[in-house]
Amino acid sequence: MQTESQTRRLLDRVIMLASSGKGTKATATLRGTDGGNTRFAVNEITSSSDVERLTLAVTVQLGQRSATAVTNQLDDRSIDDVVGRAARMAKLAPENPEAMPPLTRQTYIAVKGARDGKTSELSPKERAKAVGSVIAAGDAAKVQIAGFYEHASEMTALASSEGLWAFHAWSSCGLSCTARTPDGTGSGWASASSNRAADIDAAVLARISVDKAVSSAKPRRLEPGRYTVVLEPAAVADLTGELTSQLGARLADEGRSFFAKPGGGTRIGEPLFPETITLRSDPTDAALTASPFDGDGVPLARTRWIDRGKVTALTYDRYWAKKQGVAPTGSPEGWILDGGKATRDELIKGVKRGVLITRFWYIRSLDPQTILLTGLTRDGTYLIENGAVVAPVMNFRFNESPVQMLARCDALTPAVIAGGMRVPALRTHDFNLASISEAV
Amino acid sequence: MKLSRRSFLVGGSAGVLAALAGPRLATARGLLTDPALDDVIQRALAAATKAGATYADVRIVRRRSEGLGTREDKITDVGASESYGLGVRVISGGAWGYAAAPAVTAAEGERLARRAVATAKANASQMKRPVVLAPVPAHVDVWQTPRTKDPFKIPLEDKAELLLAINREASKVKGVKYVNARYAANAEWKLFASTEGAYIEQEIVRVGPGYTVTAVDDKRGEFATRDHDLAPMQAGWEYIEQSSLLADARMIAEQAVEKLKAPSVVGGKRDLILDPTNLWLTIHESIGHPTELDRAMGYEANFAGTSFATPDKLGKLRIGTPILDFYADKTTPGGLATCGYDDDGVATQRWNLVEKGVFVGYQTTREQAGWIGEKASRGTCYSDSYASFPFQRMPNVSLAPGPKERSIDDLIAATDDGIVIVGDGSWSIDHQRFNFQFGGQVFWEVKRGKKTRMVKDVAYQANTLEFWAACDQIGGPRSWKLGGSMYDGKGEPTQINAVSHGCPPARFKKINILSTNRRGA
Repeated sequence: MQTESQTRRLLDRVIMLASSGKGTKATATLRGTDGGNTRFAVNEITSSSDVERLTLAVTVQLGQRSATAVTNQLDDRSIDDVVGRAARMAKLAPENPEAMPPLTRQTYIAVKGARDGKTSELSPKERAKAVGSVIAAGDAAKVQIAGFYEHASEMTALASSEGLWAFHAWSSCGLSCTARTPDGTGSGWASASSNRAADIDAAVLARISVDKAVSSAKPRRLEPGRYTVVLEPAAVADLTGELTSQLGARLADEGRSFFAKPGGGTRIGEPLFPETITLRSDPTDAALTASPFDGDGVPLARTRWIDRGKVTALTYDRYWAKKQGVAPTGSPEGWILDGGKATRDELIKGVKRGVLITRFWYIRSLDPQTILLTGLTRDGTYLIENGAVVAPVMNFRFNESPVQMLARCDALTPAVIAGGMRVPALRTHDFNLASISEAV
Repeated sequence: MKLSRRSFLVGGSAGVLAALAGPRLATARGLLTDPALDDVIQRALAAATKAGATYADVRIVRRRSEGLGTREDKITDVGASESYGLGVRVISGGAWGYAAAPAVTAAEGERLARRAVATAKANASQMKRPVVLAPVPAHVDVWQTPRTKDPFKIPLEDKAELLLAINREASKVKGVKYVNARYAANAEWKLFASTEGAYIEQEIVRVGPGYTVTAVDDKRGEFATRDHDLAPMQAGWEYIEQSSLLADARMIAEQAVEKLKAPSVVGGKRDLILDPTNLWLTIHESIGHPTELDRAMGYEANFAGTSFATPDKLGKLRIGTPILDFYADKTTPGGLATCGYDDDGVATQRWNLVEKGVFVGYQTTREQAGWIGEKASRGTCYSDSYASFPFQRMPNVSLAPGPKERSIDDLIAATDDGIVIVGDGSWSIDHQRFNFQFGGQVFWEVKRGKKTRMVKDVAYQANTLEFWAACDQIGGPRSWKLGGSMYDGKGEPTQINAVSHGCPPARFKKINILSTNRRGA
């Protein structure tokens, strides 16, 4: 992996070459990943890779004309080639009135402890050992077990002819596993991610997935309909991620998003959710492998997008921010849906008749205007009656919006890491479980 | 010692290879410009064997891509990307190991080979059944996408002008507020060699243009979009030149406006007529993925899921009506997954997955053929870059046309009450491929054999087996058309595969139609 000083020398040279012409401006981005993974299924390792990747992207700007060329070769000839190609394409590219000049020097918030040396240097043997403990748990419980363990050391750096310098290095690690009963009627899943391998407890994940597989076996059929549901954190993350991707101010201003107000303007300031709902982003959350800047080098700040139920902010790229006379937000990192104080048991106790959902699968948009989504439940779906989980039920296809999930939410647990963000488990009502899926 | 490719082949494998290699390598040199690669390959394979590999292969891969994005009268993105690197895959102790890096040198080849063997040895402790590869002839060959115009040599201005012309044309239609036209092309050059003597060079070129028109009703705060239906294709620039992309711009824009004003569909059981521009994706999800053998055996359980089509059902399970023959084919002209050899070095072929409605075949690799007692691989191994471990990926999977010439208009004329869907929209299917729900681009009602008014907010939801059992009419040979996607994901870490699906239009009786309208809710 390139160090900060090596990277700086390299990008300085690239910028010098790329901006040598009169009136030429340039930005260069270097991304590096050095990582390994081990895949397992049917209670044995099925593949394993150790891979190094590098990407150098060079953007050359001639007034309002610009183009980007990318390579993964860093020898002198390749750098000359990639700079030359970007310059040639920029000359040919038609003028883009929305092109923004490269960023100048920026100040970034500090992210402490982003890179963990041990996680970066995990060996294939250590991976095989962790995976071996999950396989052993599957063997002992006489279930089929499959999963994926990966780790990486990563870096991103940006430099520009106008003085921009950004560098961030971090580590990442994740383990997920799926257990299935031999009769094929039960399936359970668990997952964890962090920037530190030490935070990931393979034994706990193996136990959760095995328990869920066994407890979800031989599900009964529950009629489709609108139910009170308790969504575990992974399920909440699946839907919240679809909401965060719809926060663009430009689409709202242009009248083509949920956050557009009919007749013009945006829904900023509208109390769309209960006061318990706060959605924010924190670029200093190292365990979420968040970065202090986005892909363009725009500094990221701790931001509240929904504050106690009110929409308070939308995302602005540099062009749209300038046009609207506001500061750019960049593309946020480190998403957090604040939790509450309830326990998972308390969420369940408050349900007369409802469904407990572990996670969702194959989510697709049905209508961007309402953020209506479809998808399926998976790996542990249960009937709740009179405040207790009473039986596994067959999976459902849902047709529902994360907007409605949050609007009808009445209880939350503390937030934990799931799906690359921090989210609570929550209870919500009238959730549309539209049809039954036979899938296990 | 630096060896030429010819001497490496003679020295490294059976004499018959040298005889094969002669005339073919003369052609090969037309593509391959750097003979130093022979040395990289030879030393990587030798280092793997020395470290304890019982099998090794090396892939040197260069991927290029080019993209252009526009909105209205502006170019929003111009980009070109290239990656180059070396991946070494080995078997040692009965386990796989893989190592890859972006530097293509002999020293790197040796280092990666040793690293891959060390990984395989670490994994061997967690193996219950050693990996066994089905035998394959050691092919020495060159294969290239047939094309007349290299899309990477067409000037950027020509591409930009086409996209902007589309935007201008579509913007003329009243009610259209936004148009985004885009162009993407990629080229995959790879050199594959194995310790069994394979030496295969291939170059695959794909193009994928498209555009989306958005109509907005500011007063009501509503909008509607319409994508053009042109399929991405393995082809050169000539495919785009000969297409109706620009000629269709006005019609596509008018349909976006009409869709915005159209009433929502009323849900219920209706006959469904699917144009090939919609049906290809339904075939991909409900026939293509379930017949991947690794998936059926539980190898994708932690991510994509498993399959209803388990090996005990091979030759027995009725998937649909007897008019349905689905085949896999990595030789279909223009198919995005078409090539000469897969990433195991197996020659590509065509075979049946479903015959007269009955499930009869799987997609396999060399590792998988023996799992179901087959002697040879079907040749469906693929890796999306130098950095990715090759594994089973979908070939082009198509529905054969009916024997009798019959068009979509004939299907409409034969239908009393139904919905016609053109273009692909939202798609979602469960992790064993039973319950699916698909949308589309544009929808019309059919009444008494006539296409009547446009409707919107349509989704069809069904169970795969019930859906294909409801298929009672399909189009004929002239109505058959390829659709496809450049971006099919599978595996952990996720890899991308480009794949096509050919089909005629088809009719399905009494399918559950849903309205997705929640506006004002």
